[in-house]
Amino acid sequence: MSELIGLVALFVLLTMIVANSVQDENRLKALSVAWVVFLVLSFSTITTEWARMTAELVDEDDDSHYGLPDIWEGEQVVCFHFPEGYAPTGFDDGRHHIDNDGTEFMTDDDWNETGACVGGFSGYNNGWNLLNAAVNASGNSLELNTTVFSFGLMVNSIGGVDPSLMTGDFGGAYWSLYHNGGLSMVGITDLELDSDSVITWRVDTW
Amino acid sequence: MFDAHAVALGPHGMLAINLAMLSIIGWALWRAEQRLSSGSDWIILTMLGAFAIAGRVLLDPIPNVQPVTVIVLLAGIHFGAPRSIALATAVALGSNLILGHGLWSFYQAIGWSAVGVAGALLSERLYVNGRLSLPALAAVAAASAFAFDWVVSLSALHSLSTDVFLVYLMAGIPYDMLHAVSNVAFVAWLANPISDIMTRHLAAPASMAVNDVATNRV
Repeated sequence: MSELIGLVALFVLLTMIVANSVQDENRLKALSVAWVVFLVLSFSTITTEWARMTAELVDEDDDSHYGLPDIWEGEQVVCFHFPEGYAPTGFDDGRHHIDNDGTEFMTDDDWNETGACVGGFSGYNNGWNLLNAAVNASGNSLELNTTVFSFGLMVNSIGGVDPSLMTGDFGGAYWSLYHNGGLSMVGITDLELDSDSVITWRVDTW
Repeated sequence: MFDAHAVALGPHGMLAINLAMLSIIGWALWRAEQRLSSGSDWIILTMLGAFAIAGRVLLDPIPNVQPVTVIVLLAGIHFGAPRSIALATAVALGSNLILGHGLWSFYQAIGWSAVGVAGALLSERLYVNGRLSLPALAAVAAASAFAFDWVVSLSALHSLSTDVFLVYLMAGIPYDMLHAVSNVAFVAWLANPISDIMTRHLAAPASMAVNDVATNRV
């Protein structure tokens, strides 16, 4: 959004400079060329920002992307859901949506879980690689802490949230892995992805 | 053996080649028109159609930047609705034989035809005292870009629900803007030269020719 505002300001400035430096009879020619060149050069940024601004949430509940922004349809997403009262600062007011370049562009206040989804990825075949890409895109605010066991890798904490330290109803809690809405039968390092996989981490209890 | 076609150009190199080719085509057609003595508007429509097809195909690497909308609009102003519809449909088909022909071709033909009809209907306001009103024409050309794009977007209703259609239109706004701004550029640079060419080759209406003959006899 801020990039779009910057581009609009630059566009207005460019228009004023060109309009004031060219004679009347050639003003439309000069302005129109300046506008076309400006739009072509900034087109990629404009379309990305515009798509984020106009994104809607997928409302088909049989879709693995249900509740996610429609601009991620057909792409890979990683979601982190924190129990109420345990979400890290900044992720405690609904579900935040962060694009693969780290831009947070939408928060779903109505979602019944708190946390973040990082999406817009493509080409990842392995769950562990996608998870690391998502953590990096979040600016490490969802940093992982893991332990490697003989049977595989275990996620201890995400964004500093460690289920083993939770109290109350969370006896025997752990980070649980879901793939396309269903509980994953394999660990994250062995998880083979589809082109539009949605990985979800949420805290479950034994 | 030599492999003379092994040179792979990047997108910018390809665009430069395309712009050079379009310039050559435009220059050659302009030179040919200068030596043309025929008063047939169909010859000019054919030449402009060739330029419009070449422009659309060669400028394809830049999204939604092409001269067709402005050329069809000018054809509507100078030659009327039926000829502009013929030009619009032929350009849509001709360019899509290279770019890809399908259901959308029909909607593009309708969209550009509507632009031509709008030009014919607004001709008295856009062409005043033998001169184009460039600011008014630029405004109509910019509006035509949005109208054309939205007509073509109707083809999406064959695969999308009406609920999603508005979102689909909204998502296309940056493309519509680029079309509108490039139309303004085409108006600023090409409208007067093309208008002069069209005016030179306007076929005199049959009724006017009969009146002229009758007047001379008196």
